[in-house]
Amino acid sequence: MKLKSRQSRLQVGLLLLPGLAFFALFTIYPILKLFYMSFLNWDMGSMLRQTFAGVENYKAVLSDGTFRIAFTNTLLYTVVTVPGQMILGLLAAVLINEIPHFRVGFRVIYYIPVITSWVIVSLVFRYIFNTEGMLNYLLTNVLGWTGQYIHWLDSRWGGLFVAMMLGIWKGVGWNLVVFLAALQSVPKELYESAEMDGCGSVQKFFYITLPSINPTILFALVMLTIGGFNVFTSVKMITGGKPMHQTETVLTWMYYKAFTTGEFGYAAALSFIVAVTLILLAVLQFKAMKQKDEAR
Amino acid sequence: MKKSTIKKTLALFLTGAMTLAAFTACGEKAPDVSSTPQKSKKEEITTINFWHHYSAQSAENETLTKVLIPKFEEENPGYKVNAVSHEWADLHDKIMISASSDTLPDVARLDIAWVPEFQKMDILVPLNKEMSDYDATAKDLLPSAMSTASIKGDQYALALNTNTKILFYNEEALKEVNLEVPKTMDELFAAAKALSGKNKNGQQVWGLNEPALSSWNVLPYIWSNGGTITNEDYTKAQGFVNSKETVAAVQKLVDLYKNGELGGFNSGDIPMTDGFGTGRYMMLLEGPWKTAELAGAYPDFKYGTAGVPVGSAGGISVLGGEDIAMFKSANKEGAWKFIQFMTSDYAQKEMAKCGQIPVNTKTLESKEVKESAFAPFLEAITTAKTRPPVASWAKIDNELTTAMTDMIINSADVQKTLDQLATKIDTLLAE
Repeated sequence: MKLKSRQSRLQVGLLLLPGLAFFALFTIYPILKLFYMSFLNWDMGSMLRQTFAGVENYKAVLSDGTFRIAFTNTLLYTVVTVPGQMILGLLAAVLINEIPHFRVGFRVIYYIPVITSWVIVSLVFRYIFNTEGMLNYLLTNVLGWTGQYIHWLDSRWGGLFVAMMLGIWKGVGWNLVVFLAALQSVPKELYESAEMDGCGSVQKFFYITLPSINPTILFALVMLTIGGFNVFTSVKMITGGKPMHQTETVLTWMYYKAFTTGEFGYAAALSFIVAVTLILLAVLQFKAMKQKDEAR
Repeated sequence: MKKSTIKKTLALFLTGAMTLAAFTACGEKAPDVSSTPQKSKKEEITTINFWHHYSAQSAENETLTKVLIPKFEEENPGYKVNAVSHEWADLHDKIMISASSDTLPDVARLDIAWVPEFQKMDILVPLNKEMSDYDATAKDLLPSAMSTASIKGDQYALALNTNTKILFYNEEALKEVNLEVPKTMDELFAAAKALSGKNKNGQQVWGLNEPALSSWNVLPYIWSNGGTITNEDYTKAQGFVNSKETVAAVQKLVDLYKNGELGGFNSGDIPMTDGFGTGRYMMLLEGPWKTAELAGAYPDFKYGTAGVPVGSAGGISVLGGEDIAMFKSANKEGAWKFIQFMTSDYAQKEMAKCGQIPVNTKTLESKEVKESAFAPFLEAITTAKTRPPVASWAKIDNELTTAMTDMIINSADVQKTLDQLATKIDTLLAE
């Protein structure tokens, strides 16, 4: 649409102003300020007098052993939970799409975990996986499969495993809804002609369904990767980074650095490194999907 | 035609202006209650602004506003106290922010952990240097509590109230194994051994509990055994945190954990109060708040309390509590009068009635205090020590916790780990 006159352009500008001002004040300004902070010596002791630190904060983050652990944990969490959620979500979507009745009911059931509070389900998972929790009781006292209680939450891999399980369980519903919508837009004729050509359901899935919902898969992949990198509440509530910061993720580590030891400069640099990583990942994912599209 | 365009434009401008006005209204500063005292010439009344974190609904706040402040204003005509209650965490941040905008109050009640930090920000008055009758006031206050605000030889606040940890034990369990209440560290460890194992239902029982492995948890064991974190000036850790005594104390904790006699700090473990109340943790070191917690959650549970068991260096617990400090921008005369009043026998006695453990030695001698609910803590307070009051303490505590976890849970070599810790702490102390 072309704007007719200067006056109407002025009107549009004025109408946009409140929104833009809000965005600038609460989004742009904090980002710029944070970027600036990441180059300062800014901790509890120098709250009033910050000095310029150059790239020292970035160096400190990158050479920090705990950051590497946190980064690896976050990456692992993403690599496990994103495909996990997508595969289970897609599977459930295909199954529900096939049945003629109760579609809405199933959708609601699968979606309930998505709208449940992270804090509450984290506490529930913690209760289940506690050393004296429900799962150990079931395994040891009821079924008698294990001789003694398993310390699920007390090690790096155990703690991460529980957080991943929670992430997958909570994310399946969202994937289901997104994929179900995509499945319903796949033209029926494609399936019919494929059947005439003698395709089985597995072939139909791989040669028709998957390519048809490719854009949705990319969308889900990018959103979930960002979500995976932002994992915070569940880890904070379930292990709190214990033991020895072994189950820390990038955000819980940033939170710890900013609000426990008061190293705001370090935390600011860390958040920028995470942001840059995410942008790179998203670009890579788009590129990869595009190539795949072109190759077909 | 033209008219209507003008009208439209006008309306748009108005909308924009109002939206902007709404924003600015949000951002506008609340009426400035925190500025430095103003003397109004007519009445010659000076206002002293006092920030604290007694909760607004608490008995402490009631005593402060209805008893203490009226009394102070009566004794000191010409002064008015404006007390403002904050949430604990808010108060810390509010002071940080107010410091940068130069709107600090005159006096504040500070968690002892904040004092070194604010001192490093250079906003606290060194009372011993600037107050001529400092010695007369300070001599009545408990030295152990005063040490929380003593930084490089100067005193940046007065102790206001204090707390510490003592031994809580499961009465019936001790009786069952025919043991006396442990008086020494050796007896404590022996009792922990005797009390650990399986209970009637086949559940594991730990003789001794600690809910975490930070300095607050491990220091009583280290100090009582003659170990320490740094030298007395808090400038050096090498040779102290890895001394023979510290190593021995930590090794003891390592062994206790290995033998299943110490537990509670793993993420999957039973929470402290529940474990103690249900007979899964038999003994622990805790503060005065535990009494109320247990009364609420496990009213029928029978437990006893005793002082921290004595090791080779005595029974040394770790101090918590609050200090009262004056900011540099304050009306110093009025602020000092108020600080003196708050640490006086009268004010301390009134606050003791609400469960605040006093630091005034006269108050501590009084009958009311000796018969109060916190009486068992009084002896421990006289010998308890403060964690090093240095600005980098949060970082040091983090390194210490990591090292303790590595040694106790992962059985890392104690001497080697503490040697490395000493180097790390020395770097942090030099910051």
